[in-house]
Amino acid sequence: MYALNKVDKHFPGVHALKAVDFQVGRGEIVGLVGENGAGKSTLMKIIYGAYQPDSGSITIDDTTMRFQNPRQAMNHGIGMVFQEQSLITNLTVMENIFLGYEQQFVKFGIVDWRAMAKAARHQLAKVKLDVDPSAVTSQLSFAQRQLVELAKVLTLEERIDGDLVILLDEPTSVLAKEEVELLFRLVRDLAKRASFIFVSHRIDEVLELSDRIYVMKDGAVVDVVGSDAADVDDIQHKMVGREVDKEYYREQKQAPYATDKPLIRFDNVSMDKRYRDISFDLHRGEVLCLVGTEGSGREAILRTIYGLEAPTSGTVTIKGEQVTRFAAADGVARGVGYVPRERKVEGIVNGMNVYENMTLSQLKKYSDLGVLRVGDEKEMARDWVDRLAIKTPDIRKDCGGLSGGNQQKVVLAKWRSGGSDIILLDHPTRGLDIGAKEDVYEMVREMSGAGVGIVLVADTLEEAIGLSHTIIVIKDGEFQKRFDGTPGAKPSLYDLVHHMI
Amino acid sequence: MNLERIKPHFPWMTLLALVCVVGAANPAFFDPLGLLSLVTDVVPLFIMALGMTFAIYIGGIDLSAQQVANMVTVVATVYLSQFGIGVAGICILAGFVFGAVSGYVTTRLYVPSFVSTLAMGFVALSAAKYLSGQRALSMDVTERNTSFGWMFDSTVGVPHQLAIAAALLAFAWFLQTRTSFGRALKAVGSGELAAVASGLNVDRVKILAFAISGAFAGIAGLLFSVKLSGGDANLANGFLLLAIVAVLVGGTPLTGGVGGVVNTAIGTLIVMVIRAAMVYLEISATQQQMVFGVVLIVAIALTIDRSKLSGVVK
Repeated sequence: MYALNKVDKHFPGVHALKAVDFQVGRGEIVGLVGENGAGKSTLMKIIYGAYQPDSGSITIDDTTMRFQNPRQAMNHGIGMVFQEQSLITNLTVMENIFLGYEQQFVKFGIVDWRAMAKAARHQLAKVKLDVDPSAVTSQLSFAQRQLVELAKVLTLEERIDGDLVILLDEPTSVLAKEEVELLFRLVRDLAKRASFIFVSHRIDEVLELSDRIYVMKDGAVVDVVGSDAADVDDIQHKMVGREVDKEYYREQKQAPYATDKPLIRFDNVSMDKRYRDISFDLHRGEVLCLVGTEGSGREAILRTIYGLEAPTSGTVTIKGEQVTRFAAADGVARGVGYVPRERKVEGIVNGMNVYENMTLSQLKKYSDLGVLRVGDEKEMARDWVDRLAIKTPDIRKDCGGLSGGNQQKVVLAKWRSGGSDIILLDHPTRGLDIGAKEDVYEMVREMSGAGVGIVLVADTLEEAIGLSHTIIVIKDGEFQKRFDGTPGAKPSLYDLVHHMI
Repeated sequence: MNLERIKPHFPWMTLLALVCVVGAANPAFFDPLGLLSLVTDVVPLFIMALGMTFAIYIGGIDLSAQQVANMVTVVATVYLSQFGIGVAGICILAGFVFGAVSGYVTTRLYVPSFVSTLAMGFVALSAAKYLSGQRALSMDVTERNTSFGWMFDSTVGVPHQLAIAAALLAFAWFLQTRTSFGRALKAVGSGELAAVASGLNVDRVKILAFAISGAFAGIAGLLFSVKLSGGDANLANGFLLLAIVAVLVGGTPLTGGVGGVVNTAIGTLIVMVIRAAMVYLEISATQQQMVFGVVLIVAIALTIDRSKLSGVVK
């Protein structure tokens, strides 16, 4: 029914989709798995109309379609349930459900709220959710909001003729186990009315729900398997292209860290509403990983260490000196380097070249009385381009045009060249392809071997477990448990998840 | 043909095309002496635009430039007899302080620069009116000639005004390309969040950018005042639109980060040629602003980097 034929998509420096073929049958539930950066989100964006393919075609019942925007795709029955929830939290449930489509309830320029509430109740019944349509969305739990999103997409059923295709992007990531089961029952039930594309990195869930599974790796579909013929290990192997093993996270290179004189000491540090009473030590050569769900306070702790946000109580000590003034410039001066999650926005300056990016945090070091020594800058940049094998035609190349992995190397070079010995990594491998991820892991080991202390917020739990000496689990801003990550005695996924949710 | 690749070359190509068109229609345009006086006339505007470039380069704007210049014409006229050539320092300092206050309000009080500089502009205007008693003042001719007469001489055919403009351009260019401040400006203009995350003191950079804009507006006002041998609160009116047009047609977009002071030099020349063409076509002064208004909108639409706007324009 719905098909993508040889769809290709390029971004600067990345071949995001390589001749992808993809089909969804009527009433089918299709799974889509792949690592971060495998091309899943690009593929989804093409399906729901946010991106247009460079080449290849989209067909519905053999008719070629071209969607300029999500609204056009919606008008052809393609709906998206967003992972990062797209509801506007200060609107009511019914306003959210009919956002952009209120016209049907308007009489003489006035919204008929009763009619809207009635229609909303009808939609909510489809997802078996019993909430007041006039309740403000912020009062709902995450699971309820997820169902409201689904109900919102299901309004397509009344609005358009023809079949529905509904994309579910990581719908289970914020749900508890019972809620996941509820959602799955619902989706199976709804498969009578619509086809589903289910995207998740939890392979077991995908196996449980889907009829067929597309496995993506490096922008290409590497396999399509029927769920009866597949098992988790097999799919995982195809996703990664090899066994996810100790080799991958360079565990053999994980050396014990120095336990004397901590680099950072957090002593009962709190910050209003973000985190409370957090204590830990970071030592030379240690990789300390903060684990928790989105919004658990991990990022806020990183930003406190760097100096971007001041805590409200407790003491932060860096290299034996208590921090009294919280400013990024002071953090840099103390030897703290920050590799932010939003690489393209906070990591590199798009529009500045390689050497300009590398010296941005250390302009004083490369200038006399404010006048830059560009020759020294270039020399340093060339040196680090070699040391980290950064693939760039020239150090004058705009960093915005480099691939994600090379951008990340430029960010790391910025801090390493400035002599930072405390490195904060916020999702350092997000959106990178596998080769580039391995480069980052290699660099983490190399830095830790050189005595650098690293605080990591990892992209996946596997990564957190694989890379760290110490894991601290945080939930809703509160310390839960500390795990020791010595190779051979690492905690399991289950151990961590148990304390996270 | 890649549009993004040739975009940086638009300004000088536009200038060249305009010069050819105007020159073809009116060959007298190429008369060296006439051309020289055209260029010399545009110097105060150029200096204001040069300063404005810094504000726009970081993604802001300075709407107070014209009023600061107005105020400075009054300050220069009132204090000339008391301080002689030293009044120049007072004028530049006054502009610098006004710009710094705008920058402070923008960065520390989170007031968008178009509002903060607009407000500071009114403060400057009011100060000018208060100081001048709402009258047009004039300088004592002897005092003016002793202190600033040299500005209007020329050496081997080059008017000193042009030399001043060239020196200021060189200074601004050095600041922009060779100093750590200039690098920080570029970082703030291209990717402010990354600049923050690199530990740069972004607020200080921005305040300084607005202060420089103010100081250049002060210099422009001083020059204008000495040129006309007087000062009043409306003397520099009509400069603001032209200065913004000069920066934008030069190729520094409102979103900042690219372009720079050399672009503004080209942009000012474009403005000059358009103005000359309008004079030749006998378009009246009242209608000229209309033309520049349209040119401004076209220039903004052509240069703005839409990827930096988060889809919401207010």
